[in-house]
Amino acid sequence: MPVAALRTLAKPQNGVGAFILQCKRLDFHYCDWAGSSRGMVDFIKRDLAKFAKQNPQIEITISPRPHRHPVIKGHYINGMDKPVCVRNMARAEIMEKANLLRNASGEKLKRVNKPVTSLNESVRGIWSPFHGAKIQI
Amino acid sequence: MKRIRILTCGTRLLARPAPRRPLCPCAPQLQRHPHTTPHSPRTQAQWQSSSALAESFDASLSDPHADPPLESTEDEFPLEVLPSPHPHASKSSAKLAALRSRLSLPPRFPLETLARTLVHPSADPNPAFNNASLSILGANLLGYYTTEHLLCNYPRLPMEVVFAAQFAYIGPKALTTIAAEWGIEAAAEPGGEVDPGLLQFRRLRSGDELPAALRRPKLPPKWNITVTHKILSNDEFGSPTRRVAPEDLASRPVPLEEAAQAFVRALIGSMHLHLGSPAVKRFYRDHFLSRHLDLDKLFDFRTPTRDLSRLCAREGFEAPVARLISETGRLSRHPVFVVGVFSGKDKLGEGAGSSLDEARVRAAAAALKGWYLYKPLEVTVPSSTEGGVGANQWKPNMVDCGEVIV
Repeated sequence: MPVAALRTLAKPQNGVGAFILQCKRLDFHYCDWAGSSRGMVDFIKRDLAKFAKQNPQIEITISPRPHRHPVIKGHYINGMDKPVCVRNMARAEIMEKANLLRNASGEKLKRVNKPVTSLNESVRGIWSPFHGAKIQI
Repeated sequence: MKRIRILTCGTRLLARPAPRRPLCPCAPQLQRHPHTTPHSPRTQAQWQSSSALAESFDASLSDPHADPPLESTEDEFPLEVLPSPHPHASKSSAKLAALRSRLSLPPRFPLETLARTLVHPSADPNPAFNNASLSILGANLLGYYTTEHLLCNYPRLPMEVVFAAQFAYIGPKALTTIAAEWGIEAAAEPGGEVDPGLLQFRRLRSGDELPAALRRPKLPPKWNITVTHKILSNDEFGSPTRRVAPEDLASRPVPLEEAAQAFVRALIGSMHLHLGSPAVKRFYRDHFLSRHLDLDKLFDFRTPTRDLSRLCAREGFEAPVARLISETGRLSRHPVFVVGVFSGKDKLGEGAGSSLDEARVRAAAAALKGWYLYKPLEVTVPSSTEGGVGANQWKPNMVDCGEVIV
């Protein structure tokens, strides 16, 4: 057996070939009675159908949550979810929050220090003492 | 690498539809659905018996907006009786519609078929409602496209590395992760009342044994399975056993991995039937080939120096000689040697190591990778000329005599 092979998996690069939106489901919870849900009820009646039509890749569920503040909850492909309380918000603000959840990746928020993240090796390679200009001491 | 059995496929496609199997008790109601106009006559023949087909055509001619009698079906048969979701339910499933547009499938790809690709034979043993046939077709297509990509682009790749690359692109684990990245959720238990957008399979409970078809047979220790044997009779990943036929898993509890990979294959197969091969090839390029795989990380040389000298002898090059290019000082705390492998005046490879021997071995491995990973500049894959479309652009591909045999 001159050469054997190592078993690995090809790594995903979302957006290089196909792009899969990471938000897969949005749950809208509202209360019929409470005043903090007024904007949410307004949003559901007037904007949600348009929002759903613009984002067919997201499954949308609406359910009442009596005597609680209204909540939008995003479910993501990596298994995480992201709830946002939208109490006392107006229609336009709720739309902003829905778009925020739509565009989120579902990852935990973390600081990004490097400008580029890549699977490829550095073109310059690691530093080598044998290459480049000789240093005269 | 698995050859697609074109002859078998051709005869199957051209053959008259097989006599109908017994359908589920609510089949006539199921088939009397005037709104469904299957895209291809072939799938039509698979879905519907000829009598039901005639009825549905009559119904559509007489009253095109008649409602399907779903309610009466529900009255007669409670949904819990069915082993998998009713095809009518797929029209109203938000999960299925979301999945279709998440994968950018066109609206002419029917939701009923998408729902069928999610039904594993372990949930529903009826071949008219599970994805067994579609997953066989999809597995052959995936194997075909991956093999032609690898063999045309890297004609000198050793066979073991081809197997490993196939495993990395379309192996069982790869397909399982792909299904997860598409946002597929599994149903806790399959049944007619479950949302058809969930993966339907009968779960293997933890601690239970795998079904007999999935268990690996214990081979005698001296049983030498050659690469040729793997190519000819086993699956495309070079595993020592054959691929499991989906019908062997009917009604048996299976792990999630088995059901998820069957779904991905079945989706490819059903796309081929409904949308045609160009759409499948685009889908394959976007979702499978776009994944990142370093082929040079797959090699695992045992004796690279010996392989390289055999290779040079075979190709008529001068025998390779390792020469020291530079060093940091061999008495230093961490010496580094840079060694090149030369054949005559040509440097075949270069490697750095902390001992002379290590550097020499690395240099020989680099030289071998340089040979095996050769990539022709212009490549036309065989499937690009399917149907005689790009036949005049066809350029014969390079065929190599194979890896060095020691």
